This record gives sequence, C-alpha cells and structure tokens, in this order.
Amino acid sequence: MTDTPEKVWPAQESEGPEKLGAAEERQWPLKPEFTSEMLAEMEELLPGKINRVVATSLAGCIHCGMCSDSCHYSVSIPEDKTLVPAYKADRFRKWYKYRYDWMAKIFPSFVGARPLTKDLAEDMFDKLFGGCTMCRRCTYNCPMGVDYGMMVRAARSMMQQVGRCPQNLQDTVDTHYNHGNNMAVPQDEFIETIQWIEEELQDEEGCENFTIPLDKHGAKFFLTLNPREPKYYPLTIQATAKVLNAAGVDFTISSRYWDLTNYALFNGNDADARLFSKWQAEDVKRLGCEYLLSGECGHGYRALRWELPNWLGGVTFKITSVMELMAKLIQDGVLKLDKSVHADKCFTYHDSCNIARSGGILEEPRTVIRACADNFVEMEHNRERSYCCGGGGGALAMSEFSKRRIAAGKIKADEIRATGANVVLQSCHNCTDQLIEICGHYKIDAKVMNLAELVAPALVL
Amino acid sequence: MPTLEIEGRTFDVDEDGFLQDPDLWNEEVAALFAKTEGIQEMTDEHWKVVHYLRNYYLEFNIAPMIRKVCKDTGFKLKKIYELFPSGPAKGACKVAGLPKPTGCV
Repeated sequence: MTDTPEKVWPAQESEGPEKLGAAEERQWPLKPEFTSEMLAEMEELLPGKINRVVATSLAGCIHCGMCSDSCHYSVSIPEDKTLVPAYKADRFRKWYKYRYDWMAKIFPSFVGARPLTKDLAEDMFDKLFGGCTMCRRCTYNCPMGVDYGMMVRAARSMMQQVGRCPQNLQDTVDTHYNHGNNMAVPQDEFIETIQWIEEELQDEEGCENFTIPLDKHGAKFFLTLNPREPKYYPLTIQATAKVLNAAGVDFTISSRYWDLTNYALFNGNDADARLFSKWQAEDVKRLGCEYLLSGECGHGYRALRWELPNWLGGVTFKITSVMELMAKLIQDGVLKLDKSVHADKCFTYHDSCNIARSGGILEEPRTVIRACADNFVEMEHNRERSYCCGGGGGALAMSEFSKRRIAAGKIKADEIRATGANVVLQSCHNCTDQLIEICGHYKIDAKVMNLAELVAPALVL
Repeated sequence: MPTLEIEGRTFDVDEDGFLQDPDLWNEEVAALFAKTEGIQEMTDEHWKVVHYLRNYYLEFNIAPMIRKVCKDTGFKLKKIYELFPSGPAKGACKVAGLPKPTGCV
C-alpha cells in the first residue's frame, strides 16, 4: 500500500525548473586547524555521540592485533604502523577513556587515556578522515566485534560539527544541501539529459520503443542515480535503462530527488543525512512507487537500504537495488543473454564494501556475471572478505589524502593483477574511479565497468 | 601545497592534480596538463571542448553538464570519451583548468 501524495505537483512541461534542496544556501564554515574553542565544543558533543555501538566499540578493543592484517591501509603500507586500525581508533579511544574510564581518573597512562589536545585532535583528523574508508573489514575480523566504521563516523561527526572536515567532502554535502543533488544539476538540465539519453537509447538496434519515463506516477520502481551519471557519464543510465526496458520493468526516474548519494554518511552529519533521506522518501511517496530502487552505487545503496529507515524511523515503501533486481530478472528467465559478445574478455569482480560487507549483496553480482560471461576469475579475497579498493568512505573527495589513498590501493591492485583479468566489474562510482586510478598507477591493463554495462550489450532483444 | 612539474615548469595543484589558481591557465598550460591525461597532441577538436568548458566555467562558475558539452560543440558522447580518455570530469575539466568537481569523482 502506498501513501497518496499530500500535494499535487505541477506538470514539469508547463512550469520552470523547481528550486530543489534547502530553501536557503549554506556553506559550512571550515577551519584550517583545531582551536581550544573547538576542542571545548567537542568535549560537549561527546556524551551525545556515545550510543551502544560506539560505547562497546570504544571500550571493547583488547589490542590483539587481528585488525592489522585486515586493513588495506596497514597491509598496503606496512611500514607505517600508525595505520593499523587499533592504533587509528585509539586516537579517539584515548580521549573517550580520559572522560569515561574510572581507572583513568587514578592512573591515566595505565589505560592509555589522554586528554583531548590539539595534537590528539589533529592526529584524529589525519587518521579517521584520511586513514580510514569505514570499509569495516577490521570489524569483520575483530574477535570483540568492534564496529570501527560506526565509531569512526561518530568521531568524524564531532570534528565536522566544530568545523574540521576535508574541504571537498564538505563541499559535496553543502552542494547536496543547496541543490538537492551533490553536483548542483539543475532540474531543467536533468530532464533534458534524461530525454537525450532516451533518444540515444532508441537509436540502438532493437531499442526503438524503449523509454525512460520521468515522474511516472504509480510506477513500480523509483530508479535513483548518482549525479555523476547525468553530469558526466550518462552511458551508465543508458545501459541501466536498456536492461530494465528489455525486462519490461515498470520504472520511473524523478525529476526532483533522483540523487541516491548521501555524503553525510561520510562526514558524519546526522541532521543532513536525515534531511537528504527525507527528501528522497517524500519523493518516492509523491510518485506512489512500490520500490525505491538504488542504482549501482556503494555508499548510496547502503545509505538508502540500511541507513535511511533508521534515520527516518521506518518507511512505507520497499527498498532494493539494480544489482539485486538484475539478478532476479536473470533467475526468473526474463532477460535473454548472449555470452558471445564478451567471449574475448576475462572478468573479475570487486565487491564494494558498502554493497557486500555492509550490504549483504554477495551472490547477486555473481549470478549476473555468470549469465553474461564464461571467463570469470574471483580475486583471492572476495565477497564479505574483499579488501576495500581505497576509494570508500568519501576518500575520493579528500584531495588532502589522495597520495595515501593510492598507496592504500596496492593490495587491491595486486589481487586484480593476480586474476589476469582485463575487465574489473563493480557496482560503485567511487570504486570505479579508484580502480581506474590504481590500475593506471600500478600499471594493470584492465578496463573498469559496472554490471549494467556488462549486461546491456549481451541482451538478446 | 603539492606541485606538479611538467617539462620543467612547476604548477601549484591540489593532490588530485587540478590547477589551484585558475588565472594561471593559458593554452600552453593546457597542452602541458593534457600530457598528464594521456593526450599527446592537442587537436582542434580537443581545443573546441577545452575552450567551451573554460568559457562556461568563467561564466557560470561550474562545469557544464555533458549534455551541454555535446550539444554546443556538436560532438557525440563517444567522441568526447575518445578525445579525453580519462573522461570529461577528470580529464577534460583538468586540462581546461577547472577545479575538482564535487561528488563522486
């Protein structure tokens, strides 16, 4: 059952572009370094950030060292011991213990407690923004169940709140806040882009009757996109639309809140995360769709599927992803595929952390790939054990730490090379760019493609 | 601040190699940056895209949508990707001296 829209929205043809996003423009004030006032503000924020997950994660670490082999930073850059997860987390933990551990009142150094000083805060900024992608591979390997990703997010949230956040990451969140999508795509240009891609799709052989319906009320699936698709890389929209049309899926794209990203997951700002989720949810209700359908995007899928219901206290529609939908269409025999178009290639698949380890989508991509290609080689660590490519957690939006990001991608590059594949498949836009960069940097001759780009050319229409 | 040295000239760039001071940009600089993006020789077609991006950015303070680039330069999408192998966001915008875009790039 779907909610009826509370308000009748004007047809776009007769109206000018709508101002989306927040009513007033905002630019979050950032500071180049921590000041004593900022530290005092963080002291005040700390108690409000200590929920069950954060508290047990801060208190639970026994410094066993299991995490050192599990982190792509410490595995790729072994000479730097400060990149071991337990060490990085201790930048936050020391402060927490100073505030909350009774032993720290008597003998602080015995429990490793330290007051929050400028040095500790700067170290926290360096390690928890620039030395962690919140991929949670250490969490998966932790005998104490320390949820490193959620703990890091809590730390980032306090730093961001007082004005310390990598510039481009904050700019991305501000752009989303000001424009309703994180690349400031205006509504009229978005509509024009979708119509143009529809024409391009119709020019393909056998696709003459394919459509990309905009704002179709009552469509079953509300398809969402990553803004870089309409802005720079619309061929992925074309590929996805081709697959959905070939299967006869009833879908639509909104001309309003079509952006599936939520960078507030990365900078830790809960108010923004909730606001972006609210826009998204209200737009799904406006069109009366049964499913919110996440496009291929790692953090976006996680933010929609697993975090949005928490931020909003539950939703009335169902949430799924293109990855899962394509697997189901293949299993149901709805999509007819011809493997011969990919016979000259060797594929491997990179499991994005937010899709696999934090999202539970493990077998669906394999179902899709095996239906499209015979030559498929798994990486040594795959599914929930996959190493982060290094581009997660907003890392691509933190130019300050780009060198470390590329260095931390070495383990993934080594595993890709070992497969001998010349195409790396994945379902995430951050992974796409990071994989292209590390393939270039570590001299691996491989193309990077998403799953829709694998399926679309193999369709038998 | 990181610097990028190309053929003996040094530029202030961000860690991703985007030019820091847009005023430093000229055609000679663009041709040097193009080499770091895998473009050996800037052709008239490259220049058409680069000048379009540049002028659009100076007017609107943001990079244009790929739709606008295709429409106003007359190039097909495929052609843009051929001209700039690292893509319009990282490749073409970098050569045109635009700052790194927000979002997943």
